[in-house]
Amino acid sequence: MLSDLLYRLRALSRRKSMEAELDEELRAHFERQVEKYIQSGLTREEAARRARLEFGGLEQVKEECRDSWGVTLIQALLRDVRYGLRQLRRTPGFTAVAVVTLALGIGGNVAVFSLLDTVLLRPLPYLHPDRLYMFFPVEAESQRAMVASSYPNFQDWHEQSHAFEAMAGYHGESLSLTGTAEPERLDGLRSTPGLFALLGILPLLGREFSPSDDPHVVLLTYELWRRRFGGNAAIIGKSIHLEGRTYSVLGVLPPHFHFPPSRWGRAPELFVPVIPNPDRGWHYLRVIGRLAPDITEQQAGTEMNGIAARLAQAYPDTNRDQGIALDQLSQYVVSGVRETMWVLLGAVAFVLLIACTNVANLLLSQGATREREIAIRTAVGATRSRLLRQLLTESLLLAGMGGALGVALAYWTLPLMASALPQHTSFFTRVHDAGFKLNSTVFTFAVLLSVLSCALFGLLPAWRTTKPARGSGASVRTGRIRSVLIGLEVALSFVLLAGAGLMMKSLVRLLGVDVGFRTERLLTMDVSLAGEKYSSAENQAAFFGQVLQRLESLPSVLSVGATVDLPLTRSWTRDSFEIPGPNPRQGLAAYHAVSPDYFRTMGIPLLSGRELLTADSAGTPLVGVVNRSLAQKYWPNENPVGKTIIATRAVEQSTSKGTRVEFKQQELEIVGVVGDVRQLGLDAPPDPELFMPYTQWASSEMSLVLRTASDPSSLIPVAKKEIWRVDPDQPVTDIRTMDELVSTEAAGRRFVLQLIGAFAAIALVLAAVGIYGVVSYGTRQRTHEIGIRMALGARGQQILWLVAGQNAKWLLIGITTGVASALALTRLLTAYLYAVRPTDPLTFVAVSLLLLAVAMLAVYIPARRATKVDPMVALRYE
Amino acid sequence: MSNERIDLPQGTLDLLILKTLALEPQHGWAVSERIQQISSEVLRIQQGSLYPALHRLERRGWIKAKWGASENNRRAKYYELTKSGRKQLEAEESAWRKLIAAVGQVLETA
Repeated sequence: MLSDLLYRLRALSRRKSMEAELDEELRAHFERQVEKYIQSGLTREEAARRARLEFGGLEQVKEECRDSWGVTLIQALLRDVRYGLRQLRRTPGFTAVAVVTLALGIGGNVAVFSLLDTVLLRPLPYLHPDRLYMFFPVEAESQRAMVASSYPNFQDWHEQSHAFEAMAGYHGESLSLTGTAEPERLDGLRSTPGLFALLGILPLLGREFSPSDDPHVVLLTYELWRRRFGGNAAIIGKSIHLEGRTYSVLGVLPPHFHFPPSRWGRAPELFVPVIPNPDRGWHYLRVIGRLAPDITEQQAGTEMNGIAARLAQAYPDTNRDQGIALDQLSQYVVSGVRETMWVLLGAVAFVLLIACTNVANLLLSQGATREREIAIRTAVGATRSRLLRQLLTESLLLAGMGGALGVALAYWTLPLMASALPQHTSFFTRVHDAGFKLNSTVFTFAVLLSVLSCALFGLLPAWRTTKPARGSGASVRTGRIRSVLIGLEVALSFVLLAGAGLMMKSLVRLLGVDVGFRTERLLTMDVSLAGEKYSSAENQAAFFGQVLQRLESLPSVLSVGATVDLPLTRSWTRDSFEIPGPNPRQGLAAYHAVSPDYFRTMGIPLLSGRELLTADSAGTPLVGVVNRSLAQKYWPNENPVGKTIIATRAVEQSTSKGTRVEFKQQELEIVGVVGDVRQLGLDAPPDPELFMPYTQWASSEMSLVLRTASDPSSLIPVAKKEIWRVDPDQPVTDIRTMDELVSTEAAGRRFVLQLIGAFAAIALVLAAVGIYGVVSYGTRQRTHEIGIRMALGARGQQILWLVAGQNAKWLLIGITTGVASALALTRLLTAYLYAVRPTDPLTFVAVSLLLLAVAMLAVYIPARRATKVDPMVALRYE
Repeated sequence: MSNERIDLPQGTLDLLILKTLALEPQHGWAVSERIQQISSEVLRIQQGSLYPALHRLERRGWIKAKWGASENNRRAKYYELTKSGRKQLEAEESAWRKLIAAVGQVLETA
């Protein structure tokens, strides 16, 4: 088989010498035969005559030999290609429109596919990533999975499991790096020993944690090592300052190493050992494991649930009814974006279908104008299959050129798409980790897609065009096919436009949400205190007190506040509280320590009672302010001001076995009610919240908010300087304006909207071009008829209605089909919609009107031109 | 040309060529002469049809061609049986014998 192919290729490439050899071979035969006859006594002429007779026609033999070489088919194909290229050059307008149309369709698909390839198809950059699994404790009753496990549970799993050859626990933690240049807050990861071996990653320098290591050792990522330590290899064994303590550098990880490939963006820059917490109920470790060879996921699952059942029996207090769920790391990483990916791919596939419909229509009109050529070629003996091959070759050429231009377009759009990727999603992290470029998978996809589009747009027109002519009936039928295709195009565009319309409405609604405070000219920044000197609550409160005072005195700062959890950052700590009385009730609220001026600075209104005061301090009775949601939920018909609740406070205590967290009950009085804010996100309805003075509930991490008189970002340098005047060792991080936060919040939806919106816009333009093409072709065909009508007294307007009316039918059928399909398909967008139903009638009406208006314009222009025809010219037409 | 000469049945030319080349490498003219001689001039081969067949067999990889000097020192294209050609010959030979036997049986008994 292979030698056959090689032979053919050689025959094709060495055509000239093959011909010469054939010539020589046949001549040699002929001469020998002549000699034989001469020897038997014939004259030279007689011998030659006989030899020729016996040999048969020389040219025919040569042709048969060439057939044997198996290259005639290829040569015919090359001839078709040359002919096709000439044909396409002869109609440059048609070729350009078709190629650009296809390029838009194919290019869009290639761009989306390369995103899919990067995010979903490419393996994670670890050793045999398909054998890495995440562990999730599951509550049997609610079937709810928890993300984290406790240290003792992890230890038991690790010791008892045989299905996993390695297991490690980890959790994220921010760490302040001090002692060199500017203090910096870094994203870190605490892990148990063996995490890197489990991933198949060898440190570039030094080694990873071992169980015997001191807890104060650290591994640096390559990037941090280069950035903060100048890439100096002598760093191994040296000490650096983290959280005010010295840590000895154990190793440096290889370049581009990221773990975990988290859904939440920023990858940790340094790694320190986990501090064991002996409390079995304290869930803080994410657990990852590597499946042993020859063990299936199912076997591992069975084993783990067996272990969980034993633990549930041994520790009913903490582990009752607890199972374990396994999720492949690669699946876990992309959960949430996979659905988005399919939606985008579906949308862009619609664009390609519309493009193909357009080109099919163009080819049908072309076919009609090429009737004469086809007739002549048929007359001189071309078979239908020969003509089909010719036409399909032309289609393939168009598809090839469209595909090539499409890949170029995709190459150009990738950076645009990368910059629009929403942060805090695996889109962003995967693209960031794996890089975003056209690779061989994408190219293969582009080639296959071009061939597929060729079949989509080329087969029908080629079939129609080569159909033996049967009077004018055929062209009427072709006219109907073209109308059906237009209807299809309108329907497809409608679905895309409806999707884009719904998403746009959602985004407008989302950005218009009342967040409960004023977002303009608000600067926010985080400060977290580290080190021995801030281990006491007094010192923490004193630091923030001084910082607030200094910032307040800055010239263009109107007011300053501090809170533990900024709104819209998706961070909060929820805890329970108790409402005492004859029938004590339990409640749940987000706890926030805030400064007295926090509400005023944010613009959160006080609804009743009083705000927190500077006078509420460590020495005075504990007080709190609740939000409207909490008041309504727990005191629906009463004013909560003056009521007392018992709040829970978590206190960390270091013991010889690790850090233990204990809970203390403390009574506090509600002194005021404030308005609700969108704490968790723009789309998250408010939840009960409880605010306490930071002087009474001190925290080492707080966000500062500054209401400024001028552009908030201009204040960043002075604000930092003021903070460092209080303590130069404390890092200031996450400096953002509130407007930036709001915009980040909407980024995920905006990304999907941008893509679907772009696809819908392309679809609309293509549909308009398609309708215009069909109508102008149709009226040109009917110039004669229109001329007669005008000569008989029809007025321009009547002609206009005639043309418009005929096309309007198919437009309306298209829109109706579009509405029906959109009703079925927009459900898939539900996850991206906010405060808009997927069948929002207003959007559907608006989209119908838009599409109808654009379509009618595309009909009107050529129809109007038809009415301008001079009847005399029209009658002489053809 | 006597009337006793018969045309070659479809597809048997390949078999004859392979068989002829199984003895030794030969050029085209010699192959045609050999077939004529051995078949006592009964089989009639249009000499021209020999060459497309040779080229086809070469493409299939059953024979390979080499230019060499002929007996009277002229350049000639020699064809030689390949390993897979030898296998093909065996297969075709046995198929042919089965066919002959079956046809013969039918002719005798029917």
